[in-house]
Amino acid sequence: MNLQTFQDRVFPVKNKLFRFAFRLLGSSDDAKDVVQEVLIKVWSGREQLDQIQNMEAWCMRVTRNLSLDRLRAQQRRPEESIERGLYVQGDHSPLESVELSESMKRIGELMASLPDKQRQVMHLRDVEGYSYQEIADILELDMNQVKVNLFRARQSVREQLQKISAYGLS
Amino acid sequence: MDSRNQIGDLLERYWKCETSLEEEQALHSYFQGENIPADLQEAARLFQFFEMEKQKKLEENFEPAVTKELQRRRGGKIISLVTMTQVARIAAGVLVLVVATFFVRQEIRKSYPQEVQDTYTDPQLAFEETKKALQMIGNTFGKARHEASKIKMFNEAEKKIQGKAADKTSI
Repeated sequence: MNLQTFQDRVFPVKNKLFRFAFRLLGSSDDAKDVVQEVLIKVWSGREQLDQIQNMEAWCMRVTRNLSLDRLRAQQRRPEESIERGLYVQGDHSPLESVELSESMKRIGELMASLPDKQRQVMHLRDVEGYSYQEIADILELDMNQVKVNLFRARQSVREQLQKISAYGLS
Repeated sequence: MDSRNQIGDLLERYWKCETSLEEEQALHSYFQGENIPADLQEAARLFQFFEMEKQKKLEENFEPAVTKELQRRRGGKIISLVTMTQVARIAAGVLVLVVATFFVRQEIRKSYPQEVQDTYTDPQLAFEETKKALQMIGNTFGKARHEASKIKMFNEAEKKIQGKAADKTSI
């Protein structure tokens, strides 16, 4: 595989890799480093790429593994800076923007507080739109575990959102 | 799809993980719109959060920087240079081996000169040598013939003994 083919096939998934690494690490710089590491790793093994059925899922799996290695090396949990740099786009008044930003921050914290697997499954399904099978491939879980984790994650998020709504915090 | 009840049902199924990817996409689209009912606002915020997450991207200069790094590591011309160097190393090794073998063989030939010389340049000498050789073969053949006659004697004796034994058994 030459560099041009590599750029055409692998580079388009770079932002998905970045978002997933960011979700796992909570740091934009670390996520960027991980994506670069992933791309170099994939490039080094480019002769074997034809044997991989779903390259995007494989890249996501490598991203996950390298992110978890990095977390282990740093001996920290990802939520420390998870939602730093979150911004609100769109046509909103200053007050609406502040409220929306606050609301997004709360949901971000809520997502970050989920157990690791639930957080990863929910991100891959609800942000990236992967099928259950693809999520199972990426996270090296069986399909039932994927469904159970997603169900628990959504139930937990729903309960938290209801609490926020009931106490008028949104 | 965008009627209030349909969205409510779809959302309920979403929380229970009973929706397909297409149905979830429909929810994403709906919650990006305007005039969301008050009781769906909390879900709307969640779906807006997902959409906002999707907007997170690497900086523009990321791709050129990585491309440069890939080229530096094992890309284009560099990889062909590496391959050429390796091939040249192997070729040089083989050449040294061939030359060394040639010289060693030359040295061995010098150390052990051939003792038997050809005689075809002197016909008389060749005739004498051939004669000697044929005489030697003739002598050896004569000796062998003499020894073989002894074997013949043994065979005849064996036949006689077997013949007598056969007569006895028939009686």
